Amino acid sequence: MRTLFLSLLLAHTLDAQPQGLTIVAPAAPGGGWDQLARTMARVLEGERIASAVQVENIPGAAGTVGLARFVSGRRGDPGALLVTGLVMVGGVVQNKSPVTLRETTPIARLVGEYEAIAVPASSPFRSLSDLIAELRRSPGSIAWGGGSAGGTDQILVDLLAQASGIDPARTNYVAFAGGGEARTALLGAQVQAGVSGLGEFAELARAGSVRILAVSSAARISGWDVPTLRESGIDVVLANWRGVVAPPGLTAVQRDRLESAVRTMQASPAWRAELERRGWDPLPLGGEAFGRFAESEMRRVQQLVARKQGGTTPVRTTRPSPLLIAGVLAVTLLLGLRGRTTRVARVRPAALAWIATGIGLNILLSEWLGFVAGAALLFGCTAFAFGERRRLRVLAVSLVFSVVVFVVFRGALSVALPTGRLWQVRAG
Amino acid sequence: MSSDFVTGLLTALTPFHLLCAFGGAALGTAVGVLPGIGPAMTVALLLPASYALEPAAGLILLAGIYYGAMYGGSTTSILFNVPGESATIVTAIEGHKMARHGRAGAALATAAIGSFVAGTIGTLLIALAGPAIARAALAMGPAEQFALIVLAFAMVTSVLGERPLLGVASLCLGLLIGLVGIDAQTGEARLTFGVAQLLDGIDVIVVAVAFFAVGESLFLAWTGIEQATPRASASSVRLTGDDWRRSVPAWLRGTLIGFPLGAVPAGGAELPTLISYGLERRLARGGREWENDGAGAIEGVAGPEAANNASAAGTLVPLLSLGIPTTATAAVLLAALQQYGLQPGPLLFQSEGVLVWALLGSLLVGNAMLLVLNLPLAGFWARLAAVPAPWLHAGIMVLATVGTWTLHRSSVDLVVLAALGAVAFVWRVLECPAVPVVIGVMLGPLAEQHLQRALTVADGNWSAIVGRPATALLLTMAALVVTGSLVMRWRARRG
Repeated sequence: MRTLFLSLLLAHTLDAQPQGLTIVAPAAPGGGWDQLARTMARVLEGERIASAVQVENIPGAAGTVGLARFVSGRRGDPGALLVTGLVMVGGVVQNKSPVTLRETTPIARLVGEYEAIAVPASSPFRSLSDLIAELRRSPGSIAWGGGSAGGTDQILVDLLAQASGIDPARTNYVAFAGGGEARTALLGAQVQAGVSGLGEFAELARAGSVRILAVSSAARISGWDVPTLRESGIDVVLANWRGVVAPPGLTAVQRDRLESAVRTMQASPAWRAELERRGWDPLPLGGEAFGRFAESEMRRVQQLVARKQGGTTPVRTTRPSPLLIAGVLAVTLLLGLRGRTTRVARVRPAALAWIATGIGLNILLSEWLGFVAGAALLFGCTAFAFGERRRLRVLAVSLVFSVVVFVVFRGALSVALPTGRLWQVRAG
Repeated sequence: MSSDFVTGLLTALTPFHLLCAFGGAALGTAVGVLPGIGPAMTVALLLPASYALEPAAGLILLAGIYYGAMYGGSTTSILFNVPGESATIVTAIEGHKMARHGRAGAALATAAIGSFVAGTIGTLLIALAGPAIARAALAMGPAEQFALIVLAFAMVTSVLGERPLLGVASLCLGLLIGLVGIDAQTGEARLTFGVAQLLDGIDVIVVAVAFFAVGESLFLAWTGIEQATPRASASSVRLTGDDWRRSVPAWLRGTLIGFPLGAVPAGGAELPTLISYGLERRLARGGREWENDGAGAIEGVAGPEAANNASAAGTLVPLLSLGIPTTATAAVLLAALQQYGLQPGPLLFQSEGVLVWALLGSLLVGNAMLLVLNLPLAGFWARLAAVPAPWLHAGIMVLATVGTWTLHRSSVDLVVLAALGAVAFVWRVLECPAVPVVIGVMLGPLAEQHLQRALTVADGNWSAIVGRPATALLLTMAALVVTGSLVMRWRARRG
């Protein structure tokens, strides 16, 4: 038992070695940012550009949760990269995030995808000009289907309206939970036009189910007989770009090392093969130039949102009022409980206090002492609360259970449970 | 077509491929029972294991993993009341009550066989009429989907119980929790109190785990009931004749509900399970075992489990015939299929005939393998539910925190879990029902989103929503369900 615990302590220490690279994907496993992070990790390790590359997922709020934690927790860490992109730029503005990309060290823009505007095959609109003409006549009559509110798709619709001289706040944008739902709505002609990455429409367009009216690139995309927005008289170029940034507070040497590692990766055949396989377009842009580009994207989105919020168009949707719901809750609860007494004969507040202590210790200590310690405390307190009084046995079962859970999650599945900051501080 | 299907099935039946299916089902079950790891994450985590194989074998391994992961999630729900993903929350309601009354084996068995029946029927339906179903499903717009949610609300009013006022209070609590986060249509934050981690809302899993597991454990520790009355340990895996008679129709009804709802992306797998639960409870017309402290009704496990698997098969319809993933799991499957050079889309059935049929064949085999693997295992799992109360509840508390932490890897979620656990404890002491709270969290945001989308599409015009034929039909059905139950309640009170 003791040796097992010691070896786990050792594992904590090894984890905290400063060598190696952590790529933070500010999204759950499976999405675009996560795939980029994992692809980078594979190529960086495979080409021996970096060793011990780990991917850490910090999902939430269009990447702004990951951004905030990256900036505060990784300051000055030369071994960390954060995946970012246009969606995060939108998220920062939309969620009024106190932390922005300006607080990071720009490293490189890597890949991107251009947007496409499509209509159902049965649509009367043959060209973008047809669609824009109808939009000018009656902005509300065109329902645009796309991804989440404030994301790349809506940004494009807003830019398009703005460039056509229409108040973006008057557009009828329908936010779907994902590209999949939006495409279903487009196929069923539930919306008049769809906005999404070109790749998402590719199969449907080839099968003739949808018609692509325009793409958002500066020049035509090879393999597609589709005009750009500019050709259609709309001066807008927009790419759903993705790149990486480093934490703030790096020295020039540290920054150069990261930049050159990423450059070497982009030049490798393995990277190009991955891009080919995944259908990502390379959009390389390094260091300072990438910093300026990100800055201009931030300003563009900020202006758009500011203009929309300054608009006078009334909010169309009916929204439930939290106060109303809370009121109904209070009234029904009071009426329902009137004249009733609880029937519990004998209560044991001490047991309750034990479990509450366990929960509290678990939350407070997991981050510092690691999962094993936190979970063992919670387990022990709960078992004690339920009347188990053999202390040694409680201790032993708690530790064994927590260690097993830890090993299964971290070892077999590489799902990182907290290892404890205290051990890392010591090792560092 | 049928000969292609037979060829595909035969491909899946070679000894090596059967081994792959078995290995996949075993791996998937093993990972799926872990709290917080649902089918999407299981498939994503185990996907690299299938890269080394040739396409047919890889697809078969994947199918096994997929079904294994789905079934694994139900196991934790039934045994520990700690649902690992939203689709198995409903299973926990009756399933865990059965487990507490020594019927864990029967609950697991009806879940396994129900999943098999639904998965098999669903796969055959895809093979026979996939593209046609996909085209029909496209007619369901935001307005119809909103009406569907209203019908779901009407169906589940039966869970409000014998004290409807407290049921409504619980539902409102759920709706309130469901409001937390970014409004999907406008992007505005609500009730987040400046905490960035709350912008994505409170995951329904956290709410379910807080109300089903944490609050319950706190309550039992407080009252000391658990120590006084030892759990029924006798747990037979065998389904009795009565179990069969009640399970079979529930499986079929669940399949009928789940498959079409899976093909129409109207809110993930939890919607069909919820509607199936509401229907079974309505058909049963009350009965002691459905009550809060009852023994658990087997239909309440059989129906939702079948609905869950059938809807998983249903989501393959838009995935394969339109190339559109409508759930997280489907998105991961799409990535996997593309790795094997299969490009799902309208042209898939013509261009890649052989592999598609091999995939459908392997889904059937993976499904059957799951039954072979899990029926014997049900006995083992059931014994696990009979460990002494202190260890059981200690384990439940740790699994609850692990499952919650794994969702977003954030200690904010743990604080939310603790706070909701405290609310759940108070709720339990006041004898308010927990299930409507969870249902409010599930259905509230869906109803709001679909209504807002429908209103946006209709440019704010309500009559355009109500006036659509399918919408009018669904809304009328909802009204009938509600008035029907009011009339029955009134009659019961008079008679």
